[in-house]
Amino acid sequence: MNVRVARIVLALGALASPTLARSQVERLAGRMDEGTRAAVVAVVDSARAAGVPAEPLVNKALEGASKGADGARIVTAVRALAADIGRALAALGPSATAPELVAGGAALRAGVRPAFLESLRGRYPRESLMVPLAVMADLVARGVPADTAGESVLALMREGVRDAELVAFRQSVERDIALGAPAGGAVAVRLAGTVPAVAGVTPHSTPRKP
Amino acid sequence: MTGSADDPLIARIAEALRRPRAVRPGFEARVMAAVRAAPPRLPARAWAWLREPRVLAVSPLAGAAAAAVLAGIVIAGAWSATRLARAGGGAERAAAPTAGTAAVVRFVLAAPRARTVSLAGDFDGWDRSRLPMRREAAGIWTVDVPLAPGRYDYAFVVDGGRFVADPAAPPAVGDDFGRPTSVVTVGGGAARVAGGSL
Repeated sequence: MNVRVARIVLALGALASPTLARSQVERLAGRMDEGTRAAVVAVVDSARAAGVPAEPLVNKALEGASKGADGARIVTAVRALAADIGRALAALGPSATAPELVAGGAALRAGVRPAFLESLRGRYPRESLMVPLAVMADLVARGVPADTAGESVLALMREGVRDAELVAFRQSVERDIALGAPAGGAVAVRLAGTVPAVAGVTPHSTPRKP
Repeated sequence: MTGSADDPLIARIAEALRRPRAVRPGFEARVMAAVRAAPPRLPARAWAWLREPRVLAVSPLAGAAAAAVLAGIVIAGAWSATRLARAGGGAERAAAPTAGTAAVVRFVLAAPRARTVSLAGDFDGWDRSRLPMRREAAGIWTVDVPLAPGRYDYAFVVDGGRFVADPAAPPAVGDDFGRPTSVVTVGGGAARVAGGSL
């Protein structure tokens, strides 16, 4: 490709990115008071400069507006989400996709240690980790201790378990918990049933923080 | 019959064969004209055109003009999408992902006593009215939403104002606003149907 044409393409890409970000931020107009909107935009701009995608932050602000939250609470929530996604970015690396970062941020907020994310990325540098990270977060949300959730997903992935099977595993654990099984025990039982070779993973007994 | 290159007869025959034959004047020109007159088939020509390397030379002025035109198209597209989103009409289609769509997710809620139920979430800007759910038999409410791979927070909105979590889906971690929120993950066959009963 001609060098000048390549430069034009790069320039267009640079033009399109802020345009997209602006259109995302403009979705806030009319959904909240001007002061809150300005504060959210400042958080979004700052986060975007650090490599955090804008879309989930804008969605968080819109969620707060739709639920009738006051401005301070909206800004706090957006800032907290930006911090979570920023930590996910640090753990997963700059090649992480936006869905991976959102799922990673949820997993970290749930209490999964960044080391689990780093371990996943180190082992699977080119595969999407969105579903494994989401399953970690969902398991913790159902009451499974964070370390147990992280170790279980890692163990399953080491055995070559695919995304759909990870989701099926999570659903089985959820059913067991709904039927009264303790969360950690449900994970251990289902883990042994899914991958007998990793039945030795010991569920942590620490209760989930409220 | 046997022979070798040393055989005088074979040598004479070989020499005769190697000798160029005289052709009528203009023969070569006529052959080439006939070849040029027969056009190659269209697919062959198209393939040859596609394979042939080309160098695009653009002057700085023309390059800047082309960049300005393309940038204008990008900005106009974003402006148009924003207008659609603000107006509400057709915004559902504008917000719905088209590229990389992984699945059409059916959201289901059993709420026999509800008068209206809608779906609000990350996929529709948390707009309470953009995705109304359809009432099926026995008070089952459903809506199908095309979703690209990702993780989405959402909630059902019952009777216009009451946020209800999906009983069949994982709860969102750390509810920021004191209202119930659920999570759906789309990817790797992660979700096709989400829903529960109220």
